[in-house]
Amino acid sequence: MSSEPSAPGRLSAPAYFGCVALVTALGAALAMVLRPAFGHRVLEFAGVEAMPQASFESFYTRRVAPLFAESCMACHGEDRQKGELRLDSYAFAMRGGRHGAVILPGDPKASELMTRISLPAGDEKAMPPEGKTPLSPDQVTVIRLWIAAGASPTAAVIQGAPRLVAEVKFPELDADAVRRMRAPLAGEVARLSALYPGIIVYESRNSAGLELNAMLRGQAFSDADLKAFLPLSGGIVRIDLSGTSITDASAPVLARMTALKSLRLADTKTGDAAVSALAALKSLKSLTVTGTAATKPALAPLAKRGVEIHGDANAD
Amino acid sequence: MQTDTAAPPDERVRVWDAPTRLFHWSLVALVFVSWLSADQGYMTVHLWSGLSLLALLLFRFGWGLMGSTTSRFSDFLHAPHKTLAYLRTMAGGGRVLHAGHNPAGGLMVVALLAVLLAQVATGLFANDSLRFSGPLALFVSDDASDGLTRIHGIAFDIILVLVWLHVVAVGFHHFVKGDNLVGPMVSGKKQRAHVPEGATIIFAHPALALGLLAACAALAAWILF
Repeated sequence: MSSEPSAPGRLSAPAYFGCVALVTALGAALAMVLRPAFGHRVLEFAGVEAMPQASFESFYTRRVAPLFAESCMACHGEDRQKGELRLDSYAFAMRGGRHGAVILPGDPKASELMTRISLPAGDEKAMPPEGKTPLSPDQVTVIRLWIAAGASPTAAVIQGAPRLVAEVKFPELDADAVRRMRAPLAGEVARLSALYPGIIVYESRNSAGLELNAMLRGQAFSDADLKAFLPLSGGIVRIDLSGTSITDASAPVLARMTALKSLRLADTKTGDAAVSALAALKSLKSLTVTGTAATKPALAPLAKRGVEIHGDANAD
Repeated sequence: MQTDTAAPPDERVRVWDAPTRLFHWSLVALVFVSWLSADQGYMTVHLWSGLSLLALLLFRFGWGLMGSTTSRFSDFLHAPHKTLAYLRTMAGGGRVLHAGHNPAGGLMVVALLAVLLAQVATGLFANDSLRFSGPLALFVSDDASDGLTRIHGIAFDIILVLVWLHVVAVGFHHFVKGDNLVGPMVSGKKQRAHVPEGATIIFAHPALALGLLAACAALAAWILF
């Protein structure tokens, strides 16, 4: 290594770095044009990029965004941006990806997003890609109509859009967990089911809650029969005693049904004593007293607490 | 083989060996091919260019230890204070002669090699979320693969910045200092006036480079197969 005065170059250092700054700026500008995603990032960083928001009640928010969330955001969301495209907000969706806008308002045929989601599943460019669940024809129509109508962030209704079909999903049944929940009363349930066939059943396949329905027994079902179910008092959530022969003598039994949510006493010989016994049942939500001797004053505390009272009570 | 730079002033003296020059321009070509192939979705081409880059980078690290004088890390890696002194001299209008890389250039070489190696290494585990995964992506979890894919993208931006700085520095030497660095990297020869007096360069045998390259290529191929 040796040092010596610099040999003259063609440019001074300031002139050279001025040229470098100019070329850098031109290169960055060119990159922003050729790579719109990069351009948007730069503008956003500089705080000059508009970020339009979709309104809460808009067609986009209610119908389009959920489709993007379900089928697209795994690869075009916050964590991953394949092709530098994000679909997790209206602003990002309208911004487009590496090669520019994928949604052209009013022109679904020219919109890359529409092209991709309309391709047959086996096509290399089809979206969602092979192995993922494709959008249904109705879902594709929803997106197409939204783009055709201008891809608005605020329009609430798009004419001709397929109706939204509610999707009902049942939770997975965990048989072991259900068995464990039912275990404490399982023996009594089996015994009473043998004595009173069809009277006591579980309210659903994944619940330990019990339903006692004596309506079909009619007058043959008495206070003594109801008392026989006392061992299950902590597990019974619904009771239908309509048309049975029970009376206010069952009031103490009913008072011990601590899990009870719904009770039907229609056309029985019960009255205020039975109704008053229900005051301690904090879970009770619904009570039917049609054709009983229950009076409004007796029912008032329950009604005040929010229990739904069905049937006309006596005025007294 | 040895070059004595004590020769007539108008004579051109050899400073770069063929393996180093071939490495340099192959690297330029492969980085460009890797960029273009990834951008256009030709992922098989991207895989091969990436593995070729890996072989090339491994070769360069080996050549930096056992190659010719000007290719060795020991020749162009300097203590920070020496690099700063060099930059101060250059900024003050002075000129410091080096047969091979100057201290700032040496730092750039190491930075580029390190980032390129990180780029290639992360690419082995990366995925494009569709139909393509790096050859080692199966050996890590999906989350790890996704994380390395993100690093793969960030490293590329760093490479672009370093390449631009490298070009700007080479342009500075050419246009401001009157020192052409590109020509010697093509021909291997510099004007004697641009080489320190009495500098001695020992050139390693090309067969050593071939053997080293073959070993590095075999290692890269082993990863794929």
